Amino acid sequence: MLEKIVERFCDAPTQYRYLLKTEKLIEKRALEGRNDLSNMSFAVTCVIGFIMSVLFTFMPFLLPMDTFTFSLIGITMSMMMIGIWMIPYFDILLIPVHYPVIAHTPVSSRTYFLVKLTRILTYTALLLGSLNLMPAIGGIWVHKGEFSLFRLLFPFVYLPIVFMSGFFTIGVMTTFAGYLTKLYSKRTLRNVAQYAQFIFPALFPVTLILLSRLLQYLPMDKLVSSLKWFYALPNGWFAGTVSLALGQIEPHFLILAGLAIAATLILVLVPLRSIAKSYSEYLSYLLESGNRQKSKIRVKTPLLGRMFQNRTIRAGLCLSFVYIRRDKHLLRQFFASLGSLIMLVVILDQEWVLHAFAIGLSPGFSMTFYFVGMGIVSSFILPIRYSEHWKASWMLRLAPLSTTYDLWRGVQAAAFLYFVVPCTLLMFCMATFIWGALGILYVLPGLIILLNYVILFPKPLSGLPLAEEFVQSQMAGETLIPFLASLFSIGIFVGIQFVTYLLNIWVYYGFYAVMVVGGLISFIHFLQKNRRVEETVDA
Amino acid sequence: MIQVSHLTKRYGQNTAVDDISFEVQQGEIVGYLGPNGAGKSTTLKMLVGLLQPTSGEISVAGYDSQTELLELKRHIGYVPEEAQLYEHLTLVEHLQLIGRLYHLEERLIAQKITELAQLFDLSSQANQRISGFSQGMRQKCIIMSALMHNPDVLFLDEPFTNLDVGTVTLMKTLLQRLAGLGKTILYCTHILEVAETLCPRIMIINAGKLIADAPVAELREQTNQTALNEIFTQLTDTTGIDEKTEEVIRIVMEDTPNA
Repeated sequence: MLEKIVERFCDAPTQYRYLLKTEKLIEKRALEGRNDLSNMSFAVTCVIGFIMSVLFTFMPFLLPMDTFTFSLIGITMSMMMIGIWMIPYFDILLIPVHYPVIAHTPVSSRTYFLVKLTRILTYTALLLGSLNLMPAIGGIWVHKGEFSLFRLLFPFVYLPIVFMSGFFTIGVMTTFAGYLTKLYSKRTLRNVAQYAQFIFPALFPVTLILLSRLLQYLPMDKLVSSLKWFYALPNGWFAGTVSLALGQIEPHFLILAGLAIAATLILVLVPLRSIAKSYSEYLSYLLESGNRQKSKIRVKTPLLGRMFQNRTIRAGLCLSFVYIRRDKHLLRQFFASLGSLIMLVVILDQEWVLHAFAIGLSPGFSMTFYFVGMGIVSSFILPIRYSEHWKASWMLRLAPLSTTYDLWRGVQAAAFLYFVVPCTLLMFCMATFIWGALGILYVLPGLIILLNYVILFPKPLSGLPLAEEFVQSQMAGETLIPFLASLFSIGIFVGIQFVTYLLNIWVYYGFYAVMVVGGLISFIHFLQKNRRVEETVDA
Repeated sequence: MIQVSHLTKRYGQNTAVDDISFEVQQGEIVGYLGPNGAGKSTTLKMLVGLLQPTSGEISVAGYDSQTELLELKRHIGYVPEEAQLYEHLTLVEHLQLIGRLYHLEERLIAQKITELAQLFDLSSQANQRISGFSQGMRQKCIIMSALMHNPDVLFLDEPFTNLDVGTVTLMKTLLQRLAGLGKTILYCTHILEVAETLCPRIMIINAGKLIADAPVAELREQTNQTALNEIFTQLTDTTGIDEKTEEVIRIVMEDTPNA
């Protein structure tokens, strides 16, 4: 049905239909041969959305609320989720990988744009359905005062309006993305657009945490009266439209409904039309290879790269360093992990987190270090084996390397230098601020875990970085085992530490010393073991 | 310098390279010709150690591909058919990577990059990302990578693809000079004109089998043809070109609205 509606806006419906069919086929075939997790990634998103919506549906039974408030919360949640979850899918529009294939054919800018937009809208519709089906039914029982038969109409009113709000969100995001594409003549803006995709999801959980903490300081009556501020926001307009359609004919709901319809038409449809017209200009820019030219050749070696005499390790380190800065998948993982860093501020505000039972024994601090460190290190060491440019690994295979482990050791060196060291320094600064000179003793166990995590992290079978085809969900699956294993280890460590502390403080100190020294020995042993493997292969 | 004995590569039931044997002496440039899908690139990939042969023996620069692959790789340069590169790297970073993988000194790497980039007219793009390069620039980048470590044997798979006329001329002269300096070159192509001018000796592979291996003059005598393309057509049994052409024209003209 969605496709039929979009097709009406199209100047070449036949081309539109065939292109859309091809897009679907390509997507289907791209997923063939990948593991079940990849095929199910969107389904999993929908299931999570559905679970959230079920929880929300039962909210009115705990907190009495009127139709406007219920619709407002539902629509706000729906718009936010759509906004965040759909961001990764905007690559469909911003970087259409198959465009060069049809660039020379007589397909109009508008048709191609609508094909891409339809793909995004299809995902949006499915996600909206999973997010709003239950609240639409549950809304029947949401009322203050007398039950009216009008309530039975709630699902039929709420669902179309929430879909409208979802499409409004996508429309606004597309318009924003579209106007960014008009600025693409400057390469940096393209990068800004890409970075925005990573930063927003990272900021979202932090904003929620900060908001929840802020709400504690607001009295309930002020909170309720602040609802009227939502009249100024699009989610308020759509919630007002729901109230109006359910028979609450009041002037302010009339205005809100008018705003919702006008906004959808003016803010979305008009700019979309303009962007659709100029989309091909943007696409043709993507096909250009115009780089700014510099006359002087600069041959530099990263400062930290000079630390390694082994040139293969240096090659691995430098290759990783470049990809850390420029590869969008690595950047996306890295920015997402930065969210945990920002959350650190909130977590460390809790006194119990910082409680120390003995010198070096603060389970809250240790676990925080573990989660932050593990999140940041994993954001690099796991995806570095994958790349969009995996086919270029022929160069690494062709090189006369006695063992490809050296390249992986370069990756490990990059993990130590660019992730473990800064993260440890940050935690060390915090520990020093809290516990003074003894702060180092609180950081050591976490550091030992991180060092062993990096050195023991499973190598790719080929031993080469950037040599496997990138599959997001496969990566997610592979993260789980090392994460759970390390979580188990840290749990055991902290648990035994605590038990030994309960037994006797000297037993605790003994265990602490054994743990740190043992961890260091284990790290050095595995470091040497890799070197021995290399020597054996050489021989 | 290159010794290949009973080399075979099978993919399931399909035999891509079927029991081929040949030798190439030091300083020789040998053209390796064949129609699409004949097995040229597969042979080259096996010679450089990127593919494992099903059976047969390979020795390059005196090193056996089964037991001394690492040493073999140190002495070869390879230009693949398809220019797959790490697109996020700049030309300088790419060549640095290659130089380090071949364990060259940093100073030497920097010097070679600067000079090669200037000679291949890429100095102004040297610090630009490869993702913004044209196909020709990528090809130059691959060629520079293959030459960085001064290899004894060069395996070139369609090396002139997408190159401009100036660079092609430079490359032809360069390859002849390198051969004069004792470098061995196995040049894989289906552009017969280039092969004819560059390679004194020609090998032709068809459907995985080596069907000819002789100097161009000898091939002319054997086939009673003067031009290499005629020799090639005769040996690979690519006949009926006129009929095929007529058939294609008929299909193209059929139901064309403005015809």
